[in-house]
Amino acid sequence: MSAKRTEAASRRRGLTLTDVLVTVVVSLVLGVVYHLWASVSSLAGLLFIQSDELVYGMWFAASTLAFLLIRKPGVALIAEIAAAHLEIAFGSAYGIQLLLYSVLQGLAAELVFAAFRYRNTSAVAAGLAGVAAAAGSLLADIYYGYVAEYATWLILFKYSLRAVSSFVIAGYLMYGLAKLLERAGVTQSLRPVERKEYDALDG
Amino acid sequence: MRSFFVPTRINWLHRANPAVKLPLFILLFGVTVLTHRIDASFYLACVFLALLFLASGYPLWKTALLASGFALAFASASLTMILFGKGSEVWWSLGPISISKESFYRGLHLGFRSIAFGCQGLLFVLTTSSTGLFYALMQRLKLSPKYAYSFMASLRLMPMALDELRIRRDALSVRGAGKGASASLLRLPELYALPLLAQSIRRAQRTAVAMEVKRFDAGRRRTYYYSSPITRNDGAAVLVLSGAAGAALLLAHLLPLFALGDMRMNP
Repeated sequence: MSAKRTEAASRRRGLTLTDVLVTVVVSLVLGVVYHLWASVSSLAGLLFIQSDELVYGMWFAASTLAFLLIRKPGVALIAEIAAAHLEIAFGSAYGIQLLLYSVLQGLAAELVFAAFRYRNTSAVAAGLAGVAAAAGSLLADIYYGYVAEYATWLILFKYSLRAVSSFVIAGYLMYGLAKLLERAGVTQSLRPVERKEYDALDG
Repeated sequence: MRSFFVPTRINWLHRANPAVKLPLFILLFGVTVLTHRIDASFYLACVFLALLFLASGYPLWKTALLASGFALAFASASLTMILFGKGSEVWWSLGPISISKESFYRGLHLGFRSIAFGCQGLLFVLTTSSTGLFYALMQRLKLSPKYAYSFMASLRLMPMALDELRIRRDALSVRGAGKGASASLLRLPELYALPLLAQSIRRAQRTAVAMEVKRFDAGRRRTYYYSSPITRNDGAAVLVLSGAAGAALLLAHLLPLFALGDMRMNP
């Protein structure tokens, strides 16, 4: 029994090809959404100064959705990189910097999930991961876009809008979508098997 | 869509090993990020735009079509900085907007840099097939095969997801569903995202199980269908690309157009 348990445990910890492929495909579908979202974002940008930040959280959705579905370490980072890879592969005008952004955002989201020891899959945890990804994008913006040289009120305004939007879209909206997918029954076979489920079999 | 991204001419840059090219382009990206003078960014943009048109191996109109996206990138990088950037020598101000000399040139500098980034990224994408890239990463840079084959498989699953999106849209419009203004926007996740995601996840899982059975994820000792050698084309790529960046920086030093210092306030 113990040998079986350790095998199950090692399967639980590492990522299998199935985990990776499902993660990549989830961010690929979101990549299609991103393409449509780009026009939503430019429409939203017409409302007021920096109002496109209101819908910015969608760009962090891949990492939180993938984690909420698969619930394994590393998934959030891979999802972000896969989404960037798709954008780059289809000839985006924003080339290699997407890779830099995706790594920073994915790592930041990953850190939040790690802080909850990959056990917390609530909407709040996902929202916090979204906010962390927004912070990661701020770090990239400082180097890439010199945002530290904006007028101070604009920096605060822009990034608080982005944080709120990340919390709502990458957190609550993706949580809702993950719940819908759970109801549709596609997530059962994705998740790692938990100890108590083995115990239930033993008993 | 895939036939669009087939080069008509194959040159040294296409034949260079992606495992050499990728670090080289990341290095170029680093050089461009660390460029803080507007002369240097201007010449970098010019040199890499020229290189993009000369070395991508695509017809002129296709390159121009792809490069037209740079206009938007230029605007989005520069406009906010021009209108709202910090600066002491104010030219014009109205309410929250204040255009100063510093913010104006800083905005232009960001625009030039975004063109340079865009050209470098596009040059890499147009001269590298994703299959070649992942085989090179596996063989030369020891990327685990499960990641490489997952990424390659996902690109093949992509057209199916797009087909499903089209079918779903047609099916909904035939039934007259999804009409009405505000309610439909809220139902968008349920009408489109849910079925597309569910179907794609199921398909990915089936594909992955088949791939695992065929040992696509086997590490260590394995064979590869394509070899990924290092050739003299790699030397040419290193020389030409580093030469291009060096030439741009040298031009900025010898023939400065703007002759302004560091673009940041507190470098």
